[in-house]
Amino acid sequence: MAGRPGAVLAMAAGLAAFAAGGIGLVLTRQPVTPQWPAAAVLPAPTGPIAAAPRPDAAPVPLPVALTIPAIGVQTPLIHLGLTASGALQVPPTASIAGWYTGSPRPGAVGPAVIAGHIDSYLGPGIFFRLSELRPGDRVYVRRADGTLAVFRVTSVRMYPKDDFPTVSVYGPAPDPELRLITCGGTFDYATRSYLSNVVVYASEIT
Amino acid sequence: MKFPRSVCRLLMLAMASVFLMIAPAAASASAATSGTGWIRLAHLSPNTPPVDVYLYSFGDSTAQLVLHHVGYGTVSPYEPVAAGIYSVAMRAAGASPTSAPVLSASVDVIAGNAYTVAGLGPESALRLQVLHDDLSTPPGKVLVRVIQASLRQHVVTVSFGGQVLASGLAFGSVSSYQTVSPATATVLVAGSGASASARVTLAAGTVHTLVVLDGTSGLTIDNLLDAAGSGDMPAGAAATGFGGTAPRAPSSPLPWVAVMTAGTLLALGGAVRFRHRPGARA
Repeated sequence: MAGRPGAVLAMAAGLAAFAAGGIGLVLTRQPVTPQWPAAAVLPAPTGPIAAAPRPDAAPVPLPVALTIPAIGVQTPLIHLGLTASGALQVPPTASIAGWYTGSPRPGAVGPAVIAGHIDSYLGPGIFFRLSELRPGDRVYVRRADGTLAVFRVTSVRMYPKDDFPTVSVYGPAPDPELRLITCGGTFDYATRSYLSNVVVYASEIT
Repeated sequence: MKFPRSVCRLLMLAMASVFLMIAPAAASASAATSGTGWIRLAHLSPNTPPVDVYLYSFGDSTAQLVLHHVGYGTVSPYEPVAAGIYSVAMRAAGASPTSAPVLSASVDVIAGNAYTVAGLGPESALRLQVLHDDLSTPPGKVLVRVIQASLRQHVVTVSFGGQVLASGLAFGSVSSYQTVSPATATVLVAGSGASASARVTLAAGTVHTLVVLDGTSGLTIDNLLDAAGSGDMPAGAAATGFGGTAPRAPSSPLPWVAVMTAGTLLALGGAVRFRHRPGARA
């Protein structure tokens, strides 16, 4: 049979475990917001600036890369189509952005659409800081012939996904424009998706 | 030289012949959010000599845009402008910027809307017409209109791949927009004494203006791309996140509750032993 010291020890250990469990319970009731290092600001890319599109000229070259110096974005551009359900296809990895091939080419008349992930399962994606862009910031798209189409941010908006502004983003425009799309707002753990989209509107400067 | 006389004649006609078409054309929803609209300028009067075209913001005597020596058939690119009232003035090419304009028109630019300000008609009755340009198409379709600027063929009928876009369109007039299916097909312009055709591609989600012009011999067709968008608009929102940087939801409380329960049982067990140990006083 255990002696008196054993019983005291058991009582002390039991109380300590109860207290530890209680502290753990209280501390883990709060959501955890991970912290990430600030973005590096990149230099503006250099190269010949694209001429304004002419109605009779050859089609503008395909886009190959995207640089957004203000938020440290530099990525090749892949081609995005539509999913089986007709939604916008998104890049298979969070580290790269893509141009929607159904939209005008960057620098041609109309809004070119580029999408990228805000994050992966593990950490920041290529458009993690997209919502930090401000009107006036520059966005550069390198085309297959080496020329740059240069855009100026005109507005940055966040929309609930169930109220996505399809016409504003994809509808016709009379001059060369750009739309950058990523996710934002609250992450819904039940559906494992963000509840909002961030859209950056930009117009070409020549 | 007849030019000064015609300028005097035009001066008399100037303000009286300004038309403002306020057709309910659809606007660009995106530009409306940033407060800009667009203006483009066109010279579509066959027997009017080249002009200098000035764009003024209301109340500002310094031109925001000047296009020099604009000849017949020229249509400028769209100029983005802040919403507000503008005036467009035409002067004979090379005339002093402070001279009285031959023609002028005012344009009320609403955010997200586009306008074509065109010199139309014969030189003897030249007018500046403000056209409200449409910036939206039915899903998967094309919008097309026709500007008839041929003096040699006063009335034309214009078709695209067999579909009539404008029938009996008189010189100096502008048709309404027609909805057509996207295709590469032949645009046929037929007047009483001449006709012309051109192979034209009209892509889904675009808006076009076809301008019928007098060429050096016969008619020519200018195909203007007014606006373009995604021909196939993706449905709904974009799934551009996996949640790796989202605030993590609280983890399950069960392990902590289990630890607390075990601790309670252990402490209770110790207490019971303490009371019932051999030799303890009752």
